[in-house]
Amino acid sequence: MARNRIKPAGGFELTAWYFMRISGLVLVFLAVGHLFIMHIANNVENINYAFVAGRWADPRTGWIWRLWDLCMIGLAMFHGFNGLRQILDEHVHGAKARVAMHTTIWTVMTALIVLGTYAIWMFQEDRAYVEQWKAMNAKAVALQPPGAIHPSGGSHAAIRGKLPNIAGD
Amino acid sequence: MSSTISEPKAYRAGKLAKLIDGLRYQGGIGQWSWLVHRVTGLGILLFLVIHVVDTFFVVFNPALYDHTVAIYGGVFGGTYYWPLRWAFRLAELGLIATVLFHAVNGVRVILFDFWNEGCKYQKESFRAVLLVFLALMIPAAIAVILPLATAPEHITQIPENVATARP
Repeated sequence: MARNRIKPAGGFELTAWYFMRISGLVLVFLAVGHLFIMHIANNVENINYAFVAGRWADPRTGWIWRLWDLCMIGLAMFHGFNGLRQILDEHVHGAKARVAMHTTIWTVMTALIVLGTYAIWMFQEDRAYVEQWKAMNAKAVALQPPGAIHPSGGSHAAIRGKLPNIAGD
Repeated sequence: MSSTISEPKAYRAGKLAKLIDGLRYQGGIGQWSWLVHRVTGLGILLFLVIHVVDTFFVVFNPALYDHTVAIYGGVFGGTYYWPLRWAFRLAELGLIATVLFHAVNGVRVILFDFWNEGCKYQKESFRAVLLVFLALMIPAAIAVILPLATAPEHITQIPENVATARP
Protein backbone atom coordinates (compact mmCIF):
# COMPACT_ATOMS: atom_id res chain seq x y z
CA MET A 1 0.00 0.00 0.00
CA ALA A 2 1.43 3.29 -1.07
CA ARG A 3 1.65 6.12 1.38
CA ASN A 4 -1.45 8.23 1.48
CA ARG A 5 0.27 11.32 2.77
CA ILE A 6 3.21 13.18 1.33
CA LYS A 7 6.22 14.01 3.42
CA PRO A 8 9.26 16.19 2.58
CA ALA A 9 12.07 14.32 0.81
CA GLY A 10 14.84 15.48 3.15
CA GLY A 11 16.86 18.34 4.55
CA PHE A 12 15.43 21.07 6.75
CA GLU A 13 11.83 20.46 5.70
CA LEU A 14 11.96 16.78 6.70
CA THR A 15 13.50 17.72 10.06
CA ALA A 16 10.76 20.31 10.51
CA TRP A 17 8.14 17.72 9.52
CA TYR A 18 9.34 15.27 12.18
CA PHE A 19 9.76 18.09 14.73
CA MET A 20 6.16 19.26 14.28
CA ARG A 21 4.83 15.78 14.97
CA ILE A 22 7.08 14.92 17.90
CA SER A 23 6.77 18.34 19.58
CA GLY A 24 3.02 18.23 18.93
CA LEU A 25 2.69 14.96 20.83
CA VAL A 26 4.81 16.21 23.74
CA LEU A 27 2.85 19.49 23.85
CA VAL A 28 -0.44 17.58 24.08
CA PHE A 29 0.75 16.60 27.57
CA LEU A 30 2.69 19.73 28.54
CA ALA A 31 0.24 22.39 27.26
CA VAL A 32 -3.02 20.60 28.03
CA GLY A 33 -1.61 19.70 31.45
CA HIS A 34 -0.64 23.34 32.01
CA LEU A 35 -4.15 24.47 31.03
CA PHE A 36 -5.66 21.88 33.37
CA ILE A 37 -3.53 23.02 36.32
CA MET A 38 -4.09 26.74 35.72
CA HIS A 39 -7.74 26.86 34.61
CA ILE A 40 -9.48 23.76 35.98
CA ALA A 41 -7.59 22.63 39.10
CA ASN A 42 -7.00 26.29 40.03
CA ASN A 43 -9.10 29.34 39.37
CA VAL A 44 -7.34 31.95 37.16
CA GLU A 45 -8.49 34.62 39.61
CA ASN A 46 -6.18 33.09 42.22
CA ILE A 47 -3.10 33.18 40.01
CA ASN A 48 -0.76 36.00 41.02
CA TYR A 49 2.84 36.66 42.00
CA ALA A 50 2.58 34.65 45.22
CA PHE A 51 1.16 31.69 43.28
CA VAL A 52 3.95 31.76 40.68
CA ALA A 53 6.59 32.17 43.40
CA GLY A 54 5.09 29.23 45.29
CA ARG A 55 5.55 27.04 42.24
CA TRP A 56 8.89 28.15 40.78
CA ALA A 57 10.66 28.91 44.08
CA ASP A 58 9.54 25.83 45.98
CA PRO A 59 12.74 24.27 47.39
CA ARG A 60 11.58 20.71 46.68
CA THR A 61 9.36 20.81 43.59
CA GLY A 62 10.33 24.14 42.01
CA TRP A 63 12.75 22.57 39.53
CA ILE A 64 10.01 20.30 38.18
CA TRP A 65 7.74 23.25 37.31
CA ARG A 66 10.66 25.22 35.88
CA LEU A 67 11.75 22.25 33.76
CA TRP A 68 8.13 21.77 32.60
CA ASP A 69 7.81 25.44 31.64
CA LEU A 70 11.25 25.58 29.97
CA CYS A 71 10.41 22.56 27.79
CA MET A 72 7.00 24.01 27.06
CA ILE A 73 8.20 27.45 25.96
CA GLY A 74 10.92 26.05 23.68
CA LEU A 75 8.72 23.46 22.02
CA ALA A 76 5.66 25.71 21.77
CA MET A 77 7.56 28.62 20.24
CA PHE A 78 9.34 26.44 17.62
CA HIS A 79 6.08 24.58 16.89
CA GLY A 80 4.00 27.75 16.62
CA PHE A 81 6.39 29.87 14.60
CA ASN A 82 7.27 26.98 12.28
CA GLY A 83 3.54 26.51 11.71
CA LEU A 84 3.22 30.21 10.92
CA ARG A 85 6.15 29.89 8.50
CA GLN A 86 4.50 26.94 6.75
CA ILE A 87 1.26 28.88 6.31
CA LEU A 88 2.98 32.03 5.09
CA ASP A 89 5.23 30.03 2.71
CA GLU A 90 2.07 29.16 0.80
CA HIS A 91 1.01 32.78 0.49
CA VAL A 92 4.23 34.81 0.23
CA HIS A 93 5.88 34.19 -3.14
CA GLY A 94 8.31 37.05 -3.80
CA ALA A 95 11.95 36.19 -3.04
CA LYS A 96 12.62 39.37 -1.04
CA ALA A 97 9.33 39.11 0.84
CA ARG A 98 10.13 35.52 1.80
CA VAL A 99 13.54 36.47 3.17
CA ALA A 100 11.97 39.31 5.17
CA MET A 101 9.18 37.01 6.41
CA HIS A 102 11.54 34.22 7.49
CA THR A 103 13.91 36.67 9.16
CA THR A 104 11.06 38.29 11.10
CA ILE A 105 9.62 34.95 12.19
CA TRP A 106 12.89 33.52 13.49
CA THR A 107 13.91 36.81 15.14
CA VAL A 108 10.61 37.22 17.01
CA MET A 109 10.69 33.55 18.00
CA THR A 110 14.24 33.82 19.36
CA ALA A 111 13.37 36.99 21.28
CA LEU A 112 10.34 35.33 22.90
CA ILE A 113 12.29 32.17 23.81
CA VAL A 114 15.02 34.31 25.38
CA LEU A 115 12.43 36.39 27.30
CA GLY A 116 10.55 33.36 28.58
CA THR A 117 13.64 31.30 29.37
CA TYR A 118 15.16 34.23 31.25
CA ALA A 119 12.00 34.64 33.34
CA ILE A 120 11.75 30.93 34.18
CA TRP A 121 15.47 30.39 34.76
CA MET A 122 16.36 33.60 36.64
CA PHE A 123 13.23 33.94 38.77
CA GLN A 124 13.97 34.66 42.43
CA GLU A 125 11.16 35.01 44.90
CA ASP A 126 10.77 38.57 46.23
CA ARG A 127 10.15 37.52 49.85
CA ALA A 128 9.50 41.06 51.10
CA TYR A 129 6.83 41.59 48.45
CA VAL A 130 5.13 38.27 49.18
CA GLU A 131 5.18 38.94 52.95
CA GLN A 132 3.64 42.37 52.46
CA TRP A 133 1.08 40.91 50.04
CA LYS A 134 0.12 38.25 52.60
CA ALA A 135 -0.15 40.80 55.42
CA MET A 136 -2.32 43.17 53.35
CA ASN A 137 -4.68 40.44 52.21
CA ALA A 138 -5.00 38.76 55.59
CA LYS A 139 -6.25 42.13 56.87
CA ALA A 140 -8.55 42.66 53.87
CA VAL A 141 -10.22 39.30 54.37
CA ALA A 142 -10.51 39.80 58.13
CA LEU A 143 -12.14 43.23 57.66
CA GLN A 144 -14.84 41.79 55.42
CA PRO A 145 -17.39 39.57 57.13
CA PRO A 146 -18.22 36.79 54.65
CA GLY A 147 -21.88 37.79 54.46
CA ALA A 148 -21.04 41.31 53.34
CA ILE A 149 -19.11 40.28 50.29
CA HIS A 150 -20.76 37.02 49.36
CA PRO A 151 -24.51 37.53 49.86
CA SER A 152 -26.72 34.76 48.60
CA GLY A 153 -28.37 35.86 45.39
CA GLY A 154 -26.50 39.17 45.33
CA SER A 155 -25.91 40.57 41.86
CA HIS A 156 -22.54 41.72 40.63
CA ALA A 157 -23.74 45.31 40.45
CA ALA A 158 -24.93 45.23 44.05
CA ILE A 159 -21.64 43.82 45.22
CA ARG A 160 -19.45 46.26 43.32
CA GLY A 161 -19.75 49.05 45.80
CA LYS A 162 -18.86 46.82 48.74
CA LEU A 163 -15.54 45.62 47.39
CA PRO A 164 -12.37 47.11 48.83
CA ASN A 165 -10.33 49.41 46.66
CA ILE A 166 -7.14 47.57 45.79
CA ALA A 167 -5.28 50.73 44.90
CA GLY A 168 -4.73 50.97 48.64
CA ASP A 169 -4.88 54.78 48.64
CA MET B 1 -16.33 6.22 -0.38
CA SER B 2 -18.62 6.77 -3.38
CA SER B 3 -17.57 10.04 -4.86
CA THR B 4 -17.45 11.27 -8.42
CA ILE B 5 -14.39 13.26 -9.37
CA SER B 6 -15.58 16.80 -9.95
CA GLU B 7 -14.37 19.37 -12.42
CA PRO B 8 -11.45 21.51 -11.24
CA LYS B 9 -12.62 24.66 -9.58
CA ALA B 10 -12.32 27.81 -11.70
CA TYR B 11 -11.73 30.83 -9.47
CA ARG B 12 -13.46 34.09 -10.23
CA ALA B 13 -11.31 37.20 -10.37
CA GLY B 14 -10.78 39.29 -7.27
CA LYS B 15 -9.36 38.56 -3.84
CA LEU B 16 -12.71 38.37 -2.04
CA ALA B 17 -14.22 36.03 -4.64
CA LYS B 18 -11.07 33.88 -4.42
CA LEU B 19 -11.40 33.69 -0.65
CA ILE B 20 -15.09 32.80 -0.77
CA ASP B 21 -14.57 30.24 -3.56
CA GLY B 22 -11.57 28.89 -1.72
CA LEU B 23 -13.68 28.31 1.37
CA ARG B 24 -16.18 26.41 -0.78
CA TYR B 25 -13.45 24.16 -2.15
CA GLN B 26 -14.97 20.70 -2.43
CA GLY B 27 -12.89 19.05 0.24
CA GLY B 28 -15.72 18.51 2.71
CA ILE B 29 -14.75 17.48 6.24
CA GLY B 30 -11.06 17.17 5.34
CA GLN B 31 -10.97 20.75 4.11
CA TRP B 32 -12.72 22.12 7.17
CA SER B 33 -10.58 20.20 9.65
CA TRP B 34 -7.48 21.49 7.82
CA LEU B 35 -8.76 25.07 7.96
CA VAL B 36 -9.83 24.92 11.60
CA HIS B 37 -6.49 23.33 12.54
CA ARG B 38 -4.66 26.25 10.91
CA VAL B 39 -6.87 28.95 12.40
CA THR B 40 -6.69 27.47 15.92
CA GLY B 41 -2.90 27.18 15.55
CA LEU B 42 -2.60 30.86 14.62
CA GLY B 43 -4.90 31.83 17.48
CA ILE B 44 -2.81 29.91 20.02
CA LEU B 45 0.37 31.53 18.68
CA LEU B 46 -1.13 35.00 19.04
CA PHE B 47 -2.10 34.21 22.63
CA LEU B 48 1.35 32.79 23.40
CA VAL B 49 3.09 36.00 22.31
CA ILE B 50 0.97 37.94 24.83
CA HIS B 51 1.37 35.24 27.48
CA VAL B 52 5.18 35.16 27.29
CA VAL B 53 5.38 38.94 27.59
CA ASP B 54 2.98 39.21 30.57
CA THR B 55 4.69 36.35 32.37
CA PHE B 56 8.05 38.11 31.87
CA PHE B 57 6.80 40.84 34.25
CA VAL B 58 7.06 38.31 37.08
CA VAL B 59 10.86 38.36 37.04
CA PHE B 60 11.42 42.11 37.35
CA ASN B 61 8.24 43.73 38.70
CA PRO B 62 5.95 41.72 41.03
CA ALA B 63 3.42 44.54 41.45
CA LEU B 64 3.15 45.07 37.67
CA TYR B 65 2.58 41.32 37.30
CA ASP B 66 -0.14 41.33 39.95
CA HIS B 67 -1.88 44.36 38.43
CA THR B 68 -1.75 42.69 34.99
CA VAL B 69 -3.18 39.34 36.06
CA ALA B 70 -5.81 41.14 38.17
CA ILE B 71 -7.29 42.40 34.86
CA TYR B 72 -8.01 38.76 33.93
CA GLY B 73 -10.22 38.59 37.03
CA GLY B 74 -12.07 41.80 36.10
CA VAL B 75 -10.12 44.25 38.28
CA PHE B 76 -8.68 47.20 36.41
CA GLY B 77 -7.08 50.20 38.09
CA GLY B 78 -8.31 49.04 41.49
CA THR B 79 -11.97 48.78 40.51
CA TYR B 80 -13.93 45.62 39.82
CA TYR B 81 -15.89 45.54 36.55
CA TRP B 82 -18.09 42.48 36.15
CA PRO B 83 -18.31 42.70 32.32
CA LEU B 84 -14.50 42.58 32.22
CA ARG B 85 -14.53 39.43 34.33
CA TRP B 86 -17.19 37.86 32.10
CA ALA B 87 -15.28 38.76 28.93
CA PHE B 88 -12.07 37.21 30.23
CA ARG B 89 -13.88 34.10 31.44
CA LEU B 90 -15.43 33.55 28.00
CA ALA B 91 -12.07 34.23 26.33
CA GLU B 92 -10.49 31.73 28.72
CA LEU B 93 -13.04 29.12 27.65
CA GLY B 94 -12.30 30.00 24.01
CA LEU B 95 -8.59 29.49 24.64
CA ILE B 96 -9.21 26.09 26.23
CA ALA B 97 -11.46 25.09 23.30
CA THR B 98 -8.86 26.24 20.78
CA VAL B 99 -6.00 24.34 22.42
CA LEU B 100 -8.09 21.19 22.96
CA PHE B 101 -9.27 21.10 19.34
CA HIS B 102 -5.75 21.67 18.01
CA ALA B 103 -4.40 18.96 20.33
CA VAL B 104 -7.01 16.31 19.54
CA ASN B 105 -7.06 17.00 15.80
CA GLY B 106 -3.25 17.13 15.83
CA VAL B 107 -3.18 13.56 17.13
CA ARG B 108 -5.47 12.61 14.23
CA VAL B 109 -3.07 14.20 11.74
CA ILE B 110 -0.13 12.31 13.30
CA LEU B 111 -2.09 9.06 13.00
CA PHE B 112 -2.52 9.70 9.26
CA ASP B 113 1.21 10.28 8.88
CA PHE B 114 2.43 7.19 10.70
CA TRP B 115 -0.37 4.74 9.87
CA ASN B 116 -0.85 4.24 6.14
CA GLU B 117 -4.48 3.15 6.35
CA GLY B 118 -5.39 6.18 8.47
CA CYS B 119 -6.46 8.47 5.64
CA LYS B 120 -9.20 6.04 4.61
CA TYR B 121 -11.00 6.88 7.83
CA GLN B 122 -10.50 10.63 7.75
CA LYS B 123 -14.23 11.40 7.98
CA GLU B 124 -14.93 8.88 10.73
CA SER B 125 -11.84 9.98 12.64
CA PHE B 126 -12.93 13.60 12.47
CA ARG B 127 -16.23 12.65 14.06
CA ALA B 128 -14.21 10.89 16.77
CA VAL B 129 -12.16 14.08 17.22
CA LEU B 130 -15.34 16.13 17.67
CA LEU B 131 -16.68 13.58 20.14
CA VAL B 132 -13.49 13.59 22.26
CA PHE B 133 -13.36 17.40 22.01
CA LEU B 134 -16.95 17.72 23.29
CA ALA B 135 -16.37 15.16 26.04
CA LEU B 136 -13.45 17.26 27.31
CA MET B 137 -15.09 20.64 26.74
CA ILE B 138 -18.29 20.02 28.69
CA PRO B 139 -16.61 19.56 32.10
CA ALA B 140 -14.10 22.30 31.25
CA ALA B 141 -16.92 24.71 30.42
CA ILE B 142 -18.67 23.93 33.68
CA ALA B 143 -15.48 24.47 35.68
CA VAL B 144 -14.68 27.77 33.95
CA ILE B 145 -18.16 29.31 33.76
CA LEU B 146 -19.57 28.21 37.13
CA PRO B 147 -17.55 30.74 39.21
CA LEU B 148 -19.38 33.53 37.31
CA ALA B 149 -22.55 32.61 39.20
CA THR B 150 -21.07 34.25 42.29
CA ALA B 151 -19.15 37.47 42.72
CA PRO B 152 -15.44 37.27 43.54
CA GLU B 153 -15.02 36.51 47.24
CA HIS B 154 -12.66 39.41 47.73
CA ILE B 155 -10.35 41.54 45.69
CA THR B 156 -6.67 41.01 46.35
CA GLN B 157 -4.84 44.07 47.60
CA ILE B 158 -1.63 44.65 45.67
CA PRO B 159 1.31 46.19 47.55
CA GLU B 160 3.80 48.63 46.12
CA ASN B 161 7.02 47.06 44.92
CA VAL B 162 9.52 46.62 47.72
CA ALA B 163 13.05 47.53 46.80
CA THR B 164 15.00 44.29 47.10
CA ALA B 165 17.71 42.58 45.13
CA ARG B 166 16.48 41.52 41.72
CA PRO B 167 18.24 38.97 39.54
